[in-house]
Amino acid sequence: MKRQSLLSVLFSLVLAFIIFPAVSQAKEIVVGASAALTGKYARNGQDQLDGFNMWVEEVNARGGLLGEKVRLVHYDDESTPATGQKLYEKLITDDKVDLLIGPYSSDVAMAASTVAEKYNFPMVSSGASATEIWTRGYKNIFGLYTPGSTYMEQVLEYAKSKGLKRVALIYQNTAFPRDVANGVRAKAKALKMDLVFDEEYGKDSTDFTSTTIKIKSKKAEVVIGASYLPDSTAFVRQAKENHLYAKIFAFAVGPALPDFGANLGLDAEGIMGNTHWEPTLNIPGAKDFAQRYTKKYGREPGYHAAGGYGAGQVLEAAVKKANSIDKDKLRQALTELDTVTAFGRYKVDSNGMQIGKPGYTVQWINGVRQLILPAKDATAKPVYPFKDWSKR
Amino acid sequence: MELLDPAILLQLLISGLLAGALYALLACGLNLVFGVMRVINLAHAELMLVGAFSAYLLYRFFGLHPVFSLVIVVPAVFFFGYYLQRVLIERVVGQPLLSSLLATYGVSIILVNIGLLLFSADYKSVPAMQGSILFGEIAISKPRAVAGLISVALTLAIYFFLERAHLGKAVRAVAEQPQVAAICGIDVRRIRMLTFGMAAAMAAAAGVMLAMIYSFSPISGADFIQKSFAIIIIGGMGNFAGALYGGLLLGVVESYVAGFSSSQWAEAVAYLLLVAVLLIRPTGLKGTAYVK
Repeated sequence: MKRQSLLSVLFSLVLAFIIFPAVSQAKEIVVGASAALTGKYARNGQDQLDGFNMWVEEVNARGGLLGEKVRLVHYDDESTPATGQKLYEKLITDDKVDLLIGPYSSDVAMAASTVAEKYNFPMVSSGASATEIWTRGYKNIFGLYTPGSTYMEQVLEYAKSKGLKRVALIYQNTAFPRDVANGVRAKAKALKMDLVFDEEYGKDSTDFTSTTIKIKSKKAEVVIGASYLPDSTAFVRQAKENHLYAKIFAFAVGPALPDFGANLGLDAEGIMGNTHWEPTLNIPGAKDFAQRYTKKYGREPGYHAAGGYGAGQVLEAAVKKANSIDKDKLRQALTELDTVTAFGRYKVDSNGMQIGKPGYTVQWINGVRQLILPAKDATAKPVYPFKDWSKR
Repeated sequence: MELLDPAILLQLLISGLLAGALYALLACGLNLVFGVMRVINLAHAELMLVGAFSAYLLYRFFGLHPVFSLVIVVPAVFFFGYYLQRVLIERVVGQPLLSSLLATYGVSIILVNIGLLLFSADYKSVPAMQGSILFGEIAISKPRAVAGLISVALTLAIYFFLERAHLGKAVRAVAEQPQVAAICGIDVRRIRMLTFGMAAAMAAAAGVMLAMIYSFSPISGADFIQKSFAIIIIGGMGNFAGALYGGLLLGVVESYVAGFSSSQWAEAVAYLLLVAVLLIRPTGLKGTAYVK
């Protein structure tokens, strides 16, 4: 009996030692996020996280947020919405984070935002652009990216100006590519262009041989892929193998990334894509960010990295504006905020959808990703038409 | 309907056969192991990725063309498989199926995570051979043609080895009656090591071929192992030739379904075929293993 009570005293002592240091520790602001570190979106997820981590480091060097150190808690959502959803549940209820950053990809963000909404927890979301996210009446998700449905507008307008009519569209069966596809359909209709091919493919598709053969038989002049990096790379390679030729090839996500050129080499030449950000853009802090990022990580930042960094800056600006991390004040601040980060302008509508930031179009020219549209920000003139595979 | 154009039909057939040849090479290895020791090797696709990443490294650092790296990678993975059998798989042969499933699943998890540590989850590719040969309107992709032909050659070589060679007959004897084979003086343990080594080597060869065609990451194995399972059930569990037919059949059907419907349906085809075969011919196309 005696021995037992002695043990329980010891046990409570140990417990007290475990608990109290945690309580008496200096206060800090904890930011929670899930990131796609494995799976289909791993490359982009890692870039975004790196960008965000850079902000955390820099904000702490500046003295933190509201005088407190910032710490990031993050988990790998494996590029899957279901995992992302669970992780945000954990971040809010278990880790009890103070601030939230959204995950990469529209479909994971879609799932994560339902959790944020449930707990009425404002979330700054970089790396998500499907319009659908902001049409559900949610009050707690604030986007940085231009809506996906506008991605291909510049390319289609350009194609129209060249007198092209026949458009082929392929897209992945997830939220963001579907949104891009809807935008393409609407824009093509508005421009009176013919959609001669329109097909969805699976998230895990690696083989587009049959698709390229079909598009070839439709004699499309413009081929648009609402894709991510792995599928756009695979499609271009197989388009070449099957001698699918069009005057314009444009893809979402892939061509805006340095990996696209690295993986495809010469085959990337002439391919267009959309982007949210380029280091060459005339945005205060963009060039500087690109230099610091390259120095820190040993590779050039793409728009995903800049978006991650920008999300941090938006969060910082909102916390400063609200002068608090109180959820209601923060939500108010994020709704009203109009600021320019290294990623570009941030201004959202009443649903939290980004409306302040323009989109851009890039093209791979002589092994370099050049901004071609809109003309006022361009670093090079568009190369047209696409050079036939056999003449390279 | 421009799809009924004979040139397009032929084009779809060729690309289907070429893809199917690669499936067949992979599935034959899986079926060989199952046939000889009734072990379902869940790490088979990861062995394939070992081949793919080896080809990637050799290309990246030594500029070695994947076709030549076969000469290095295939024997290396053969010995890896040979000793993996000796150290691990041998212990679960003849045990309840769950033991071997767990053991090979463990190997798969270890390999995937080593891959993630070494290479991260980025997609890699080996752009060693590109472009295609044109025959009129028909384009045949060079890497696919080479991969397809090498796959068929390797699969047939192993097939004839099993059918004709003395050692190959010993493998079949162990598959059919391990006890009787042992009484006849066959070193059953060594034959099993040889079998697993061969299967691993086939997977690695498939991986090297895969590296020429697709992008891959350490977690790409799942798609391939699932298709391989479908193939060996379609072809007949444990039947080497069955897996060959099953692989080619799946490749061609996938190609036509993607051509006439959409690539999303093509992804479901393996499993639809699986159900159809199980309904009509439950032992698979060539399966006789359980028919008494």
